[in-house]
Amino acid sequence: MTALLQLTLSGILVGCVFGLIAMGFVITYRSAHVFNMAYGQFAMVGAYMAWTFLGSPDSPRFPLWLGIILTVLFAIAFGLFVERVFFRRMIGRPLFVPFMLTLGLLAVINSVVLLVWGPAPLALAQTFPKGPVGVGEITLPQEYLWSFAVAMAALIAFVIFFRNTKLGLAIRAAYDNQVAARCLGVSARLNSQIAWIISSLLATIGGILIASVQGVSPLLGELAMSVLAVTMLGGLDSLVGCIAGGLVLAIGGNLASYYLNPHIQGISEVFGVLLILMVLLIRPAGLFGSKSIDRV
Amino acid sequence: MRARGKIKRDYGRELAVIRTRTHWFILAGFLILLGILPGILTWTDNNSWLTWLNFTFITIIAVLGLNITTGMAGQVSLGHAAFIMVGGYTLGILTTKMDWPFWLALPAGGIITAAIGLVVGAPSVRLRGFYLAIATLAFLFFAQFLIKHLDITNGIHGLIGIPAPSIGDFRIDTDLKWYYLILLLTIGGVISSVNLTRSRLGRAFSAVRDNDITAPSMGINVYLTKVTAFFIGSLYAGVAGGLGASYLSVIRVDQFTVFESIWYLGMVIIGGAGSTAGTVMGVLFLRLISQFLHVVSMGSWVPSLGASFWSSITYAIYGAAIIAFVSFQPYGLIAIWRKWQAQYKRWPFG
Amino acid sequence: MAPAETGNKNGTIVAGTDLSLSFGGIKALLNVDFQVKRGEIVSIIGPNGAGKTCLVNCITGYYRPQKGSITYDGHNITGLPSYRIARLGISRTFQNPSLYPHMTAFDNLMLARYMHTKTTLPEALLFFGRSRHEEIESRRFVEGIIGFAKIQDLRNRTVATMSYGQRKLVEITRALAMEPRVIFLDEPMSGLDEVMKELVAELVISVRNQGVTVVLVEHDMQVVMGLSNSVIVLDFGQKIAEGSPDDVCRNSQVTAAYVGGITLGKTCQPAA
Repeated sequence: MTALLQLTLSGILVGCVFGLIAMGFVITYRSAHVFNMAYGQFAMVGAYMAWTFLGSPDSPRFPLWLGIILTVLFAIAFGLFVERVFFRRMIGRPLFVPFMLTLGLLAVINSVVLLVWGPAPLALAQTFPKGPVGVGEITLPQEYLWSFAVAMAALIAFVIFFRNTKLGLAIRAAYDNQVAARCLGVSARLNSQIAWIISSLLATIGGILIASVQGVSPLLGELAMSVLAVTMLGGLDSLVGCIAGGLVLAIGGNLASYYLNPHIQGISEVFGVLLILMVLLIRPAGLFGSKSIDRV
Repeated sequence: MRARGKIKRDYGRELAVIRTRTHWFILAGFLILLGILPGILTWTDNNSWLTWLNFTFITIIAVLGLNITTGMAGQVSLGHAAFIMVGGYTLGILTTKMDWPFWLALPAGGIITAAIGLVVGAPSVRLRGFYLAIATLAFLFFAQFLIKHLDITNGIHGLIGIPAPSIGDFRIDTDLKWYYLILLLTIGGVISSVNLTRSRLGRAFSAVRDNDITAPSMGINVYLTKVTAFFIGSLYAGVAGGLGASYLSVIRVDQFTVFESIWYLGMVIIGGAGSTAGTVMGVLFLRLISQFLHVVSMGSWVPSLGASFWSSITYAIYGAAIIAFVSFQPYGLIAIWRKWQAQYKRWPFG
Repeated sequence: MAPAETGNKNGTIVAGTDLSLSFGGIKALLNVDFQVKRGEIVSIIGPNGAGKTCLVNCITGYYRPQKGSITYDGHNITGLPSYRIARLGISRTFQNPSLYPHMTAFDNLMLARYMHTKTTLPEALLFFGRSRHEEIESRRFVEGIIGFAKIQDLRNRTVATMSYGQRKLVEITRALAMEPRVIFLDEPMSGLDEVMKELVAELVISVRNQGVTVVLVEHDMQVVMGLSNSVIVLDFGQKIAEGSPDDVCRNSQVTAAYVGGITLGKTCQPAA
C-alpha cells in the first residue's frame, strides 16, 4: 500500500513535468503546424547549455541565478534561430515537408551534441536542494518536489499568457485559422516566432528539470518518445490533455516498472511505446482530443 | 533528320517505358555497364567498393519498398527499419534454426514481413498522417523490444552463421558472386516498381495519397489500397532484410535503429517521392556521401579521430542533406533530372 | 457510354425514405423522402445550409443516415461504404472540384476507370497479360470520353494550371468516365461565368440523352428551371416541396424559404 501511494505520488510530480514539456511540443504543432520530431533534441541542447553555464558539481562555473538567466537567453535565441533558418520557409507547405525537416534536424543536433560534448553522461551542478523528504512512511526525493513546483509555476505563467494577454489571444486565433487571423492583423511571423520561443523555452526547462535528476546525456533525446506518448494520450489539440497524458504516462510507468518488470523483463522501457500503440488503436484522437468531422 | 516529335501509333506504344531505339541502346549500355562494374571497381584491387555496391543495391530494394508505402501511397512509415529487421531475422531463424535452404527462406521472409506489414498497416484506415507515423515508430520500438527479449532471436546477441545461398555445389560466397545475385534481384525490384506505377494500383495509390476523401467516389477502396501499399512495401523490406542478413551472415538488433528509418525516408525524399528512378538516385546520393566519408576517414593524411567521430559526422551530413532537400528541392533529384530532360528536348528553342 | 438499362423504363432509380441525420444538436436532415426517376434530370435546391449536400453525401455513402433507408435500383444501399456505392453505378462530383491537381486531366480520367479494371497485384507487378491489355482498353475509353465531353484541349494539361470552370468540366467528365447510371453533380454551376455555364449545361443535357439519370444540387434558379424535369426543395433539413419546376415556383413555402421571393418570381419564367 505504501509502495502504491509512493509510486503514485512521485508519478504525479514527474507527470506534471512531462505535461509541461509536452506543451512545448503541442504549441508548435498548433500554431506553426510543425510536428517537431526533434523536440527531444531541443531539450537535450537546453540541458547541455545549462551544463555549460552552471558547470558540474565538482567545478561549478556561474552562480545559479546567472546560469539560469544565460540558459533562458540561449533558449530564446535558439528558438528564434530555428524559426528563422528552418521553419519560416515551411509556412504553407504540406505537413509532411516540415515533418521530414525535423527528422533531419534531429539527426544534425544529435550528432553535433555528440561531437561537442561526447556520449558520456555529465553531472549537472546542483540546482535544487537534494535529499529525501518524507511524510509518514512515504519518502520522496526533494528535487522531485522542486521540479514539480517549477513546472507548476511555468504552467500558470503559460495559462495566464494565453488567457489574459492580447498576444496570447492572437496566437490562439491563429491556431484555428491562419489566414483569417492574418486578415485580422495578427502577424503570422510574430506568431511563429513566439511559438518557437515558447517551445524552445519549455523544452529547455524540461531538459534542465530532468537533467537535475538523472544528469545530462544524449539519452535526453529519447525524451521525445515520452513526449509523443503524452501528446498521443492527451490529443494533439488540448493543453489540459497534456497534463493528463503526462500523469497517465508517469504514474503508469512507475506502477509498471514496480509491479510488472519482475515478471516481464524490460517492460518499463517500452511502457510509453505500448501506451502509444494502445491509444492509437483504441482512441486515435487521444483521451481529450476532439475529433473533427471531415467535410466533403 | 527525323523530326523531334515522337508519334505514337497505338496505345501500347504510349504505355511503353522504353519507347525509342535510343532508349534501347541506353538501356543495353547501362546493363552492360552494371555487368562489368565490379571489374572496373576492383581494378585497384580494392574490395571495399564492391561491398559498398552490394549494400547499396540491397538498400535500393529496401527503399523501393518504402517509396511504395510512403512515396506513392502517402502512408508515412517510420517503421521501415523494423520491417527490414523482421525480414532479416526471419531468414536467419529459418536457415540457422530450422535448416531451410536460402532459396526458400528468402521468399518466406518476404511473405512473413509483408504479412506483418498488413497488420501494422491495418490501423491506417483510422490514423491519418503523423498519427500513423508515430504508430509505425512505436511498432519499431516494440519489435526491437521483442527481439531483444525473445529466445528464438538470441536476444541482444543476435544470430550468427547465417549460411550463404548455394545451388548444388555452387556456393555464393564471394562479393562478386553476391553482386550478380543482388543485382538480379534489384533489377527485378525496379521493374516491378515501375510496373506498379503505371498500373491501376499505382494510380489508386496516388489517388489515396493526394486526397483520400474523394478517392472512394471513384470506387477505390481506400482502406484496401493503404493496406496493400504496406503489404508491398514490407515485402520489399523483407526481401532486402533477408538478403542483407545472409550477405553479412550475422544479424543484430542494434543494426536497425530509428536513424535507419529516418535515412530511408530521407532517401525517398531526396530522390523524389513516388518515383522509382528518383528513389534509386536518392539511395545512391546518400550512400555515395557515406562512402566518400569512409574513404576520407581511411586516408593516411587524416588524423585518426575514431569511428564514433566519423559516424557522428556522417549522421550530421545525412541530416543536413535531408534538411537542404526539403527546404530547397522538395521534389528531389528526379525533378532536377526532369528539368534537364525537358531543356534538352526543347533545345535549341528552350 | 451505354449504361445498362434494366427494369422498367420510367421507374424510380434512387429513392430515400424517412432520412434523418444530425450533427450534435443540428438537424441536417429530418425525415426526408425523395424519388429520382430513371432518365430524368432532377434538381435539389434550397438555401445555404438546407442539407442539400448532406443528402448527396448520404446517398453516396459519405455520411450514414441515422434513420431511414436509401434504395438504388430496388436494392437497399443504406450505409454501404462509398466505394461500393460508386461501383454500383452512382458517381458524383464535389462542391469544390476535387481533381488531383498534380495529375493531368487524362490521368484523372484514367482514375475513373479503376473500378472497371481487374488487374491484381501480381499482374500489376509483372505488367503482363491482363494488366497491359486493360491499360490499353482504359486508354481507348478515356480518349472516347474526352471527345464526348469536348475537352480535347485540356487532355494533357495539369489540373493545377486550369481555371475553376475547366476543373468543373473535367470533374464532370471524370464522373462520366465511370460509366454511371446515376450521376450527382454538387453545384456544377457555382462560380462559373455565363459561357462556362452554357458548356456545363450542354454537357448535362448530352449526358441525360445518353440515358444517364442526373441529379443536380444547384443554387442557380435559372439553370434549375431550364434543365430539370423535377425539383426537390429542402429547407432546414426538411423537404418542403417537390414536383415539376413550375409547381415548385408557385409554391408559397418555397418563395418564403428563398427570402427574396421577387428574384424567384423573375427567374420562374416558363422554361426555355
